Amino acid sequence: MNIIETKNLTKTYGDFTAVSGLNLHIPKGSVYGFLGPNGAGKSTTMKMLLGLTKPTSGSFVIDGKKYPENRVQILKEVGSFIEAPAFYGNLTGEENLDIVRKILGLPKSAVSEALELVGLTQYKGRLAKKYSLGMKQRLGLASALIGKPPILILDEPTNGLDPVGIHEIRTLIRSLPQKFDCTVFVSSHLLSEIELMADYIGILNHGYLLFEGTLDELKIHGTKEGYPTDNLEDTFLALIDADNRQRGGVR
Amino acid sequence: MSFGLEFKKVKRTGFMLAFLSGGVLAAIVPILNMLVRSENYVGFDDSPVQILMNANWQMMSMLNILLVVASACLVYHIEYTDNAIQRMCTLPIKESKIFFGKVALMAVMCLVILLMEAAALAFCSYYWFELSTDIWMEVIKSFAYALLLIFPAVLCSLVIASACRNMWVSLGVGVVCVFIATMIPTKNFILSLFPFALPFQILSGTTENILRNYMIAAVIEILILGIVEVLFLKVRRSFE
Repeated sequence: MNIIETKNLTKTYGDFTAVSGLNLHIPKGSVYGFLGPNGAGKSTTMKMLLGLTKPTSGSFVIDGKKYPENRVQILKEVGSFIEAPAFYGNLTGEENLDIVRKILGLPKSAVSEALELVGLTQYKGRLAKKYSLGMKQRLGLASALIGKPPILILDEPTNGLDPVGIHEIRTLIRSLPQKFDCTVFVSSHLLSEIELMADYIGILNHGYLLFEGTLDELKIHGTKEGYPTDNLEDTFLALIDADNRQRGGVR
Repeated sequence: MSFGLEFKKVKRTGFMLAFLSGGVLAAIVPILNMLVRSENYVGFDDSPVQILMNANWQMMSMLNILLVVASACLVYHIEYTDNAIQRMCTLPIKESKIFFGKVALMAVMCLVILLMEAAALAFCSYYWFELSTDIWMEVIKSFAYALLLIFPAVLCSLVIASACRNMWVSLGVGVVCVFIATMIPTKNFILSLFPFALPFQILSGTTENILRNYMIAAVIEILILGIVEVLFLKVRRSFE
């Protein structure tokens, strides 16, 4: 059963098409990796799913709820982290999470649980503006994870983290479906990263979905198309390159 | 809930301090004026409140409006500076509710500063004039009227601040509006309907008919500005 489904989702800005006729199928309880080079339309897609941007055309359904009719109901079930951490710099990490907790109507313990999950408990009393980039990233993740929502939409969540932090967050994301029975929709421009945590992947380039399926299916698809399959990174790059060539050398 | 959240968000921004010190500053105006030149005012036949308002309200209300403009910029600056507004928009809360929470916060703070100013005026009446029993009612009516007439400026400042991601732009626009308002003659009904000019109006010595017109105009402006903000937020989302 798919918890998120999009139908011909399109977003255009003037004569530029950021996302074109996107049909995503994200199975419940999975980690779905959304891959694509910079500017492929990953963040725009995620913003549309969160109601931050209005789709030009097309529609989507999240957990059986249609947008825009059930926007507030959808947002109650979704924890999100888009592009860069968003926070109140004048408040501490704990106070930032407390604001989110109050809006979501969660118990007070939810704040300390979220801080614990991302390893920020020690720094909860520090002003968010004084956090390092990695700590801000963790705060953003804690804000998405607070209350253990059934759906998580994470846009490049490991940006700015050191290798240890990347490993920790990756392990955390990988464990979320089993731990909290949730679905994770995570984007990245690195296949090596997605490979380690995703059950399903969707590859986007210039707003078009080039591939959707499991990693094994990507391998089979690559072999069929004559792309190198020894290394999935190479398969991904070959797929993108072939699509770019098809579009007239646009990179 | 929105008011409580907005109150929490302004922690450590200097918002409260700015409002309270601004209120003190405006409250000191009539006291200083009376200390320096009380002989210019005590001989009149009008009621003490009318004399004091005529002598000081222009300065006091200008301070109030400047405070409103600066505070509106501040409450939206915290939303835009680290992109917190984006997180708020991905939570099950309407952006318009955030706006009206900020309106409520500013309204409460306006009430606080107007109470401080009312207390200062009552003190001046007591100290330099004869304090009659009905003076309290006159002070309360005057400041309730002032509170109603400052609401359009509060809403207008917040609409401007919510539209501009750069605080300096909204502050600049707000200050220009305040200076335009100071150039508008208070006796001209149509021109003084400009939201930033309305707070310069005084209750004492104004006919009932004009008072009613100003109050109706203020309520209409409040409704219009509220609707404008809701529509603006919807339209902005379409272009993002």
